[in-house]
Amino acid sequence: MTNRKIMLAVAAIFLVSVCLSVFILMPSEKQTVEIVQNGTVLYTFDLKKTKDREIRIPSADGGYNLIVIENGEICISEADCPDQTCVKMGVLKSDYLPIVCLPHRLTVRFAEDES
Amino acid sequence: MNIRRLTELALLSSVALIIFVIELRIPNPFPIPGVKLGLANIVTVYAVFRYRPSETAMIVTVRLLLGAMFSGNPSALLYSAAGAVCCLLGMLALRRILPEKQIWLCSVLGAMLHNIGQISAAVIIMRSFGVIAYLPLLLVTGSLAGLFTGLCAQILLKRIK
Repeated sequence: MTNRKIMLAVAAIFLVSVCLSVFILMPSEKQTVEIVQNGTVLYTFDLKKTKDREIRIPSADGGYNLIVIENGEICISEADCPDQTCVKMGVLKSDYLPIVCLPHRLTVRFAEDES
Repeated sequence: MNIRRLTELALLSSVALIIFVIELRIPNPFPIPGVKLGLANIVTVYAVFRYRPSETAMIVTVRLLLGAMFSGNPSALLYSAAGAVCCLLGMLALRRILPEKQIWLCSVLGAMLHNIGQISAAVIIMRSFGVIAYLPLLLVTGSLAGLFTGLCAQILLKRIK
């Protein structure tokens, strides 16, 4: 009997997580992005109005991240950190999943649009 | 502890470490921090059902420390250690109630607890609740990976008496 309860609990957690994941992965409708390092906002862009460009952001430990804006999309194209997770995360899409570079404490995320 | 036992534990630790190192070579299709197949946990699940809790904890500790050194990513150690502690405590508790046929269930729950531990560590380290957004994704991928490793361990336990 307890086994069945455990199984039901596992199934319930799984289903709820699937629904939440779909919700979290939904693409954002916002256009404003900000680049944050160590809690301070370095840049704010309107993706639809910004021309294609590259920004090199040095970090406190001597490393860097290369951020690329192209065709209204933003991504980190290069970094000299060991794990490269920020590069592999690709283009910023979701409100809830910012592109994060943990070693360089850098975040690229959507912000509220200015009206 | 006698020498036979000690050798068995050392052997299991090295098997887990080898699996861990080989898995590093497999490209990860999910570019989300913290998502992994975790094949080395086949050994953990096997040990939970065949060895004493303290012995299993030893295997996992050795795997974690050497794994962090071998992967060249010691900053990940805090996250994986927090996950492993939660996972191990949960599985050791479940071992008492689950029969050998439902080892996979134990592994799935262990994987979920591992993810919860990981995210808690991330919340504490980064001092932001934003990372909780990753939890549902980790739970979905984690429980599928846990199901796979659990089934592998179950087949192993049946064959190796």
